[in-house]
Amino acid sequence: MAKKRERLDVIKDILMAVRENRSIKPTRLLYASNLSPQMFKDYINELINKNFLKLDVDEEEKKTFSLTKKGNDFLEEYRVIENFVKSFGL
Amino acid sequence: MEVYSLIVRNQELFRLVYTLLIGIACFAIVVRTNRLFRLSFHQGIRYFRNAFFFYGLAFLIRYPLGESYFLIYKIIPSFITKALFEFFLIMGGFSLLYSLLWKKLETEKGSLSSLFNAKIALFYALALVIVGLDYLWKTYYLMFASQIILFGYASTISYLIYIKSENQQNFLKLYLVVMILNLIAWLSNFVVAVFFNWHQGGIISIHILNVIIFLLFLYSVVKATK
Repeated sequence: MAKKRERLDVIKDILMAVRENRSIKPTRLLYASNLSPQMFKDYINELINKNFLKLDVDEEEKKTFSLTKKGNDFLEEYRVIENFVKSFGL
Repeated sequence: MEVYSLIVRNQELFRLVYTLLIGIACFAIVVRTNRLFRLSFHQGIRYFRNAFFFYGLAFLIRYPLGESYFLIYKIIPSFITKALFEFFLIMGGFSLLYSLLWKKLETEKGSLSSLFNAKIALFYALALVIVGLDYLWKTYYLMFASQIILFGYASTISYLIYIKSENQQNFLKLYLVVMILNLIAWLSNFVVAVFFNWHQGGIISIHILNVIIFLLFLYSVVKATK
Protein backbone atom coordinates (compact mmCIF):
# COMPACT_ATOMS: atom_id res chain seq x y z
CA MET A 1 0.00 0.00 0.00
CA ALA A 2 1.34 3.48 -0.87
CA LYS A 3 2.66 5.52 2.07
CA LYS A 4 0.36 8.38 3.13
CA ARG A 5 1.66 11.66 1.78
CA GLU A 6 2.81 14.28 4.23
CA ARG A 7 1.16 17.69 4.07
CA LEU A 8 4.28 19.25 2.52
CA ASP A 9 4.30 16.62 -0.24
CA VAL A 10 0.63 17.25 -1.05
CA ILE A 11 1.25 20.99 -1.29
CA LYS A 12 4.29 20.39 -3.49
CA ASP A 13 2.27 18.11 -5.80
CA ILE A 14 -0.53 20.66 -6.12
CA LEU A 15 1.82 23.57 -6.80
CA MET A 16 3.90 21.52 -9.27
CA ALA A 17 0.73 20.63 -11.20
CA VAL A 18 -0.17 24.32 -11.39
CA ARG A 19 3.34 25.35 -12.44
CA GLU A 20 3.54 22.69 -15.16
CA ASN A 21 0.32 24.01 -16.69
CA ARG A 22 0.93 27.72 -15.99
CA SER A 23 -2.78 28.01 -15.24
CA ILE A 24 -5.05 25.04 -14.67
CA LYS A 25 -8.76 24.42 -14.32
CA PRO A 26 -10.06 23.21 -10.94
CA THR A 27 -11.19 19.81 -12.21
CA ARG A 28 -7.85 19.06 -13.84
CA LEU A 29 -6.04 20.13 -10.69
CA LEU A 30 -8.30 17.90 -8.58
CA TYR A 31 -7.31 14.87 -10.69
CA ALA A 32 -3.65 15.85 -10.68
CA SER A 33 -3.63 16.30 -6.90
CA ASN A 34 -4.95 12.76 -6.26
CA LEU A 35 -7.05 13.97 -3.34
CA SER A 36 -10.67 13.51 -2.36
CA PRO A 37 -12.86 16.49 -3.31
CA GLN A 38 -13.23 17.57 0.33
CA MET A 39 -9.51 17.40 1.07
CA PHE A 40 -8.77 19.12 -2.24
CA LYS A 41 -11.13 21.95 -1.27
CA ASP A 42 -9.45 22.30 2.16
CA TYR A 43 -5.97 22.41 0.66
CA ILE A 44 -6.92 24.85 -2.10
CA ASN A 45 -8.60 27.20 0.38
CA GLU A 46 -5.52 27.11 2.57
CA LEU A 47 -3.17 27.70 -0.37
CA ILE A 48 -5.23 30.66 -1.59
CA ASN A 49 -5.53 32.14 1.90
CA LYS A 50 -1.79 31.84 2.42
CA ASN A 51 -1.10 33.35 -1.00
CA PHE A 52 0.52 30.35 -2.65
CA LEU A 53 -2.13 30.20 -5.36
CA LYS A 54 -4.53 32.65 -6.92
CA LEU A 55 -7.87 32.00 -8.54
CA ASP A 56 -8.41 33.79 -11.84
CA VAL A 57 -11.85 34.27 -13.35
CA ASP A 58 -12.05 35.33 -17.02
CA GLU A 59 -14.81 37.21 -18.91
CA GLU A 60 -16.66 33.95 -19.52
CA GLU A 61 -16.50 33.26 -15.78
CA LYS A 62 -14.16 30.31 -16.31
CA LYS A 63 -11.97 29.69 -13.27
CA THR A 64 -8.31 28.75 -13.36
CA PHE A 65 -5.58 28.54 -10.75
CA SER A 66 -2.17 30.08 -11.18
CA LEU A 67 0.95 30.21 -9.06
CA THR A 68 1.90 33.30 -7.05
CA LYS A 69 5.49 34.34 -6.36
CA LYS A 70 5.18 32.78 -2.91
CA GLY A 71 4.02 29.52 -4.46
CA ASN A 72 6.98 29.61 -6.81
CA ASP A 73 9.34 30.34 -3.89
CA PHE A 74 7.94 27.32 -2.05
CA LEU A 75 8.75 25.05 -4.98
CA GLU A 76 12.25 26.51 -5.27
CA GLU A 77 12.84 25.93 -1.56
CA TYR A 78 10.93 22.64 -1.25
CA ARG A 79 14.06 20.49 -1.18
CA VAL A 80 15.55 22.69 1.55
CA ILE A 81 12.34 22.54 3.61
CA GLU A 82 12.01 18.78 3.18
CA ASN A 83 15.70 18.30 4.02
CA PHE A 84 15.36 20.46 7.16
CA VAL A 85 12.29 18.60 8.42
CA LYS A 86 13.89 15.18 7.85
CA SER A 87 17.26 16.27 9.25
CA PHE A 88 15.78 17.30 12.59
CA GLY A 89 13.04 14.68 12.72
CA LEU A 90 10.37 17.39 13.00
CA MET B 1 44.22 26.30 35.41
CA GLU B 2 45.44 29.48 33.71
CA VAL B 3 42.46 29.79 31.38
CA TYR B 4 39.96 29.48 34.21
CA SER B 5 41.85 32.02 36.34
CA LEU B 6 41.83 34.43 33.42
CA ILE B 7 38.10 33.95 32.96
CA VAL B 8 37.38 34.40 36.68
CA ARG B 9 39.38 37.65 36.70
CA ASN B 10 37.36 38.91 33.70
CA GLN B 11 33.98 37.53 34.64
CA GLU B 12 31.85 40.33 33.29
CA LEU B 13 33.61 40.30 29.93
CA PHE B 14 33.33 36.51 29.78
CA ARG B 15 29.58 36.69 30.51
CA LEU B 16 29.12 39.35 27.84
CA VAL B 17 30.98 37.29 25.23
CA TYR B 18 29.12 34.14 26.30
CA THR B 19 25.74 35.89 26.00
CA LEU B 20 26.60 37.49 22.68
CA LEU B 21 27.69 34.19 21.15
CA ILE B 22 24.54 32.39 22.29
CA GLY B 23 22.31 35.36 21.46
CA ILE B 24 23.70 35.69 17.93
CA ALA B 25 23.40 31.93 17.38
CA CYS B 26 19.75 31.97 18.53
CA PHE B 27 18.96 35.03 16.43
CA ALA B 28 20.48 33.45 13.32
CA ILE B 29 18.55 30.21 13.92
CA VAL B 30 15.26 32.09 14.39
CA VAL B 31 15.78 34.11 11.21
CA ARG B 32 16.65 31.06 9.08
CA THR B 33 13.89 28.84 10.42
CA ASN B 34 11.31 31.63 10.29
CA ARG B 35 11.93 31.96 6.58
CA LEU B 36 11.32 28.24 6.12
CA PHE B 37 8.22 28.39 8.28
CA ARG B 38 6.75 31.36 6.35
CA LEU B 39 7.09 29.31 3.16
CA SER B 40 5.91 25.94 4.43
CA PHE B 41 3.76 26.63 7.55
CA HIS B 42 5.22 23.39 8.90
CA GLN B 43 4.38 23.16 12.61
CA GLY B 44 7.56 21.30 13.56
CA ILE B 45 9.68 24.09 12.08
CA ARG B 46 7.48 26.61 13.92
CA TYR B 47 8.08 25.09 17.35
CA PHE B 48 11.77 24.56 16.61
CA ARG B 49 12.00 28.28 15.78
CA ASN B 50 10.09 29.20 18.96
CA ALA B 51 12.55 27.20 21.07
CA PHE B 52 15.42 29.43 19.99
CA PHE B 53 13.29 32.54 20.31
CA PHE B 54 12.78 31.62 23.98
CA TYR B 55 16.45 30.72 24.48
CA GLY B 56 17.54 34.01 22.93
CA LEU B 57 15.16 35.95 25.20
CA ALA B 58 16.39 34.04 28.25
CA PHE B 59 20.04 34.90 27.69
CA LEU B 60 19.30 38.48 26.67
CA ILE B 61 17.36 39.04 29.89
CA ARG B 62 19.73 37.22 32.22
CA TYR B 63 23.03 38.70 31.28
CA PRO B 64 22.86 42.04 29.41
CA LEU B 65 19.71 43.18 31.18
CA GLY B 66 20.45 41.54 34.50
CA GLU B 67 24.02 42.70 35.02
CA SER B 68 25.01 45.83 36.86
CA TYR B 69 26.75 47.50 33.97
CA PHE B 70 23.44 48.16 32.29
CA LEU B 71 21.19 50.93 33.58
CA ILE B 72 18.13 48.70 33.37
CA TYR B 73 19.50 46.66 36.27
CA LYS B 74 18.63 49.56 38.53
CA ILE B 75 15.02 49.56 37.31
CA ILE B 76 14.26 45.84 37.16
CA PRO B 77 15.04 43.93 40.38
CA SER B 78 17.41 41.00 39.91
CA PHE B 79 14.91 38.43 41.17
CA ILE B 80 12.64 39.34 38.23
CA THR B 81 15.40 38.98 35.64
CA LYS B 82 16.39 35.64 37.20
CA ALA B 83 12.76 34.44 37.17
CA LEU B 84 12.30 35.52 33.54
CA PHE B 85 15.57 33.83 32.61
CA GLU B 86 14.43 30.59 34.20
CA PHE B 87 10.96 30.88 32.62
CA PHE B 88 12.22 31.40 29.08
CA LEU B 89 14.90 28.74 29.48
CA ILE B 90 12.26 26.19 30.52
CA MET B 91 9.97 27.28 27.67
CA GLY B 92 12.88 26.87 25.23
CA GLY B 93 13.29 23.27 26.37
CA PHE B 94 9.54 22.58 26.17
CA SER B 95 9.34 24.04 22.66
CA LEU B 96 12.30 21.98 21.47
CA LEU B 97 10.71 18.80 22.81
CA TYR B 98 7.31 19.75 21.36
CA SER B 99 8.89 20.24 17.92
CA LEU B 100 9.63 16.49 18.00
CA LEU B 101 6.22 15.49 19.38
CA TRP B 102 3.74 17.88 17.74
CA LYS B 103 2.54 15.38 15.13
CA LYS B 104 1.11 13.13 17.82
CA LEU B 105 -0.71 16.05 19.46
CA GLU B 106 -1.85 18.39 16.66
CA THR B 107 -3.18 18.33 13.15
CA GLU B 108 -0.76 19.30 10.39
CA LYS B 109 -2.60 22.58 9.90
CA GLY B 110 -1.76 23.64 13.47
CA SER B 111 -3.16 26.55 15.46
CA LEU B 112 -3.35 30.19 14.51
CA SER B 113 -0.71 31.14 17.06
CA SER B 114 2.09 28.91 18.27
CA LEU B 115 2.83 31.16 21.25
CA PHE B 116 -0.77 31.42 22.48
CA ASN B 117 -2.80 28.22 22.22
CA ALA B 118 -4.23 25.65 24.64
CA LYS B 119 -1.28 23.24 24.47
CA ILE B 120 1.39 25.89 24.87
CA ALA B 121 -0.67 27.41 27.71
CA LEU B 122 -0.04 24.16 29.59
CA PHE B 123 3.70 24.63 29.10
CA TYR B 124 3.45 28.23 30.27
CA ALA B 125 1.54 27.12 33.36
CA LEU B 126 4.06 24.37 34.11
CA ALA B 127 6.99 26.76 33.62
CA LEU B 128 5.35 29.30 35.96
CA VAL B 129 4.84 26.63 38.62
CA ILE B 130 8.48 25.53 38.35
CA VAL B 131 9.76 29.12 38.53
CA GLY B 132 7.41 29.96 41.41
CA LEU B 133 8.39 26.94 43.49
CA ASP B 134 12.10 27.43 42.81
CA TYR B 135 11.74 31.05 43.93
CA LEU B 136 9.93 30.05 47.13
CA TRP B 137 12.47 27.35 47.93
CA LYS B 138 15.36 29.58 46.81
CA THR B 139 16.84 26.86 44.59
CA TYR B 140 16.97 25.88 40.92
CA TYR B 141 16.32 22.20 41.61
CA LEU B 142 12.94 21.98 39.91
CA MET B 143 14.29 23.68 36.81
CA PHE B 144 17.21 21.23 36.72
CA ALA B 145 14.91 18.26 37.24
CA SER B 146 12.45 19.37 34.55
CA GLN B 147 15.17 19.98 31.97
CA ILE B 148 17.00 16.73 32.77
CA ILE B 149 13.77 14.76 32.28
CA LEU B 150 12.93 16.77 29.18
CA PHE B 151 16.30 16.32 27.48
CA GLY B 152 16.44 12.68 28.54
CA TYR B 153 13.13 12.20 26.72
CA ALA B 154 14.20 14.34 23.74
CA SER B 155 17.44 12.34 23.44
CA THR B 156 15.43 9.11 23.44
CA ILE B 157 13.10 10.39 20.71
CA SER B 158 16.06 11.63 18.66
CA TYR B 159 17.69 8.21 19.04
CA LEU B 160 14.52 6.43 17.87
CA ILE B 161 14.21 8.77 14.86
CA TYR B 162 17.88 8.14 14.04
CA ILE B 163 17.65 4.33 14.12
CA LYS B 164 14.36 4.31 12.13
CA SER B 165 15.57 6.63 9.35
CA GLU B 166 16.94 5.31 6.08
CA ASN B 167 18.48 8.61 4.96
CA GLN B 168 20.03 11.58 6.80
CA GLN B 169 21.85 9.20 9.12
CA ASN B 170 24.90 11.45 9.68
CA PHE B 171 22.77 14.50 10.28
CA LEU B 172 20.40 12.79 12.68
CA LYS B 173 23.43 11.41 14.51
CA LEU B 174 24.70 15.01 14.92
CA TYR B 175 21.32 16.15 16.25
CA LEU B 176 21.25 13.21 18.66
CA VAL B 177 24.72 14.20 19.90
CA VAL B 178 23.53 17.79 20.47
CA MET B 179 20.52 16.54 22.46
CA ILE B 180 22.77 14.33 24.59
CA LEU B 181 25.17 17.23 25.17
CA ASN B 182 22.20 19.28 26.37
CA LEU B 183 21.33 16.50 28.81
CA ILE B 184 24.94 16.37 30.01
CA ALA B 185 24.95 20.17 30.47
CA TRP B 186 21.85 20.05 32.66
CA LEU B 187 23.12 17.08 34.65
CA SER B 188 26.42 18.90 35.17
CA ASN B 189 24.55 22.03 36.25
CA PHE B 190 22.72 19.98 38.87
CA VAL B 191 25.87 18.27 40.12
CA VAL B 192 27.88 21.51 40.33
CA ALA B 193 25.03 23.30 42.13
CA VAL B 194 24.17 20.55 44.60
CA PHE B 195 27.46 18.79 45.30
CA PHE B 196 30.06 21.47 44.57
CA ASN B 197 28.19 24.55 45.79
CA TRP B 198 28.29 26.34 42.41
CA HIS B 199 32.05 25.88 42.07
CA GLN B 200 33.30 28.59 39.68
CA GLY B 201 35.42 26.24 37.58
CA GLY B 202 32.44 23.94 37.12
CA ILE B 203 30.15 26.80 36.14
CA ILE B 204 32.68 28.13 33.61
CA SER B 205 32.96 24.64 32.07
CA ILE B 206 29.17 24.45 31.77
CA HIS B 207 29.07 27.90 30.13
CA ILE B 208 31.68 26.75 27.59
CA LEU B 209 29.65 23.59 26.96
CA ASN B 210 26.51 25.72 26.44
CA VAL B 211 28.31 27.83 23.83
CA ILE B 212 29.42 24.66 22.05
CA ILE B 213 25.84 23.32 22.11
CA PHE B 214 24.33 26.48 20.61
CA LEU B 215 27.05 26.76 17.99
CA LEU B 216 26.39 23.12 17.06
CA PHE B 217 22.68 23.92 16.76
CA LEU B 218 23.57 26.85 14.50
CA TYR B 219 25.92 24.72 12.43
CA SER B 220 23.18 22.07 12.05
CA VAL B 221 20.62 24.63 10.93
CA VAL B 222 22.99 26.29 8.46
CA LYS B 223 23.99 22.89 7.03
CA ALA B 224 20.36 21.79 6.70
CA THR B 225 19.28 25.03 5.01
CA LYS B 226 22.10 25.30 2.45
